[in-house]
Amino acid sequence: MLYNRYLKMHRKSSFQYKGNMVMLSISSVLISISELIAVFLMFRNFKTVGNWGFYETALMFGLITTIYSFTECFARGFDEFSKLIKNGDLDRLMVRPVNIIYQIFGSKMEFSKLSRVVLGLTVIGISLAKLSINWTVAKVLVLILTLSCGCLVILGVMMVGAGISVFSVENLEFINIITNGAKEIGYYPIDIYNKWLSRIFTFIIPVACFNYLPISYLIGIGSLPNIVYALSPLYGLIFFIPCLLFFLWSLKKYQSTGT
Amino acid sequence: MNAYSGLFKMTFKGELQYRAKAISGMTTQLFWGIMYIYLYTAFMGGKIIEGFSVSQMASYIWLGQAFFVLRYVELPKKCGKEIENGDVCYKFVRPVDLYNQWFFEHLGYKLSATLLRFLPITVVAFLLPKSIGLSAPVSFTAFLLFLISLLIGAVLMSALSMIVVYLTFKTMSPKGTSTIVQTISGLLGGFFIPLPLMPQAVQTILNYLPFRYIADLPLRIYIGNIGVQSALMYIGISLLWLIGLVVIGKLLLKNALKKTVIQGG
Repeated sequence: MLYNRYLKMHRKSSFQYKGNMVMLSISSVLISISELIAVFLMFRNFKTVGNWGFYETALMFGLITTIYSFTECFARGFDEFSKLIKNGDLDRLMVRPVNIIYQIFGSKMEFSKLSRVVLGLTVIGISLAKLSINWTVAKVLVLILTLSCGCLVILGVMMVGAGISVFSVENLEFINIITNGAKEIGYYPIDIYNKWLSRIFTFIIPVACFNYLPISYLIGIGSLPNIVYALSPLYGLIFFIPCLLFFLWSLKKYQSTGT
Repeated sequence: MNAYSGLFKMTFKGELQYRAKAISGMTTQLFWGIMYIYLYTAFMGGKIIEGFSVSQMASYIWLGQAFFVLRYVELPKKCGKEIENGDVCYKFVRPVDLYNQWFFEHLGYKLSATLLRFLPITVVAFLLPKSIGLSAPVSFTAFLLFLISLLIGAVLMSALSMIVVYLTFKTMSPKGTSTIVQTISGLLGGFFIPLPLMPQAVQTILNYLPFRYIADLPLRIYIGNIGVQSALMYIGISLLWLIGLVVIGKLLLKNALKKTVIQGG
């Protein structure tokens, strides 16, 4: 399969410089660890925020970290789409007889982010163990749904960013607010922010649908009917469709920068 | 000295041209500021924590955003690429001291980036209500000491950045090295979380390390969390670190350059 070849190619090329790869992996996991330490220190000083304690919040941190880093690793081509435009590689991809989305996925991979995925999964594991949840089949399914829909949301945001960069080759910092801001907001329960901020990150950029809402279902708190919390990750799926359509539309409008 | 002040001016003026970048940077900083203020307000719930009131915390956060660029250590711009691809050899043949050149270029870059951003952020933050905005400094003396420690902090930041240059020569991984030093110095310096939230014993240790004098000291002098007398003592310590780090940095770079092999021609 073509994707396997892409994987092999990127693995070979990034492990060519082993020292560099090790340094990048360490640095990327170190950032997450210090952010986790910050979360821990907040709870060490303030004990709780609303209904939320450290392990509930750590679960959020783990989910966000895993989902982001996994998507950053395998969808790097969308994340750094402006580079594809700037150096003219996009033109090459477009004339090939293979689906363009498929090729963008294959154009770049960032394996150093996987160190963070490992950290994220570890944090999820530890906090789930500490939270003493009454597991049911439904809860396991919701957790899997959360992880997969979360990746789709991040991919959707990256696609919108990529679509915008078709019209303006400038590196737009506000995409950075959306991606990194959403990440940072997702480290803590979204109900502690004020109304408009939490609404934006629930409905417009649905971070809450892959951490705050499904976690409320898992640990059994919240005032809405259970079914709303359980099915909330599906909203990410709804969010993804227009993002994809926007990206495909912007590709049609693409004019080469020329070489 | 003339050559270096020339380099400083050159980067300084060059960076001032990037207004669009500064505007988007400012928007980002405003967003972060508001987000952190809601975060800390929710956690603190109106209480005073470790000598921080809610409004002091708000001032602390806004100052942190306004002087964001001066608060973290990183590999000087372009430097990483030059080391990695060997262009650095052109610098070897020039009759200027490499340490001073990078040092002043970096300082110029950081100061000009700050000059473009800090004013609008401070103005916006001043106009916000007191509980979520930036308050005036506690006293004129505190304000003066804030400015002094901020400048010393900026120079100290450049001196630490030069240690990153040395480490990059050793590891040949510019991005990885830069991020690792940035993260460690950020965590130990109060860049990720205000230092008063750290355990007391850790805070005591951190007083002896250089990192807090970059990201933490100026802000806490401004809000009055650190009194004038201790401020003077801390400024003294930071000056000692500054001298120490410049000497160490120069020796290390000299050592690295001696062993550097440029491949190809």
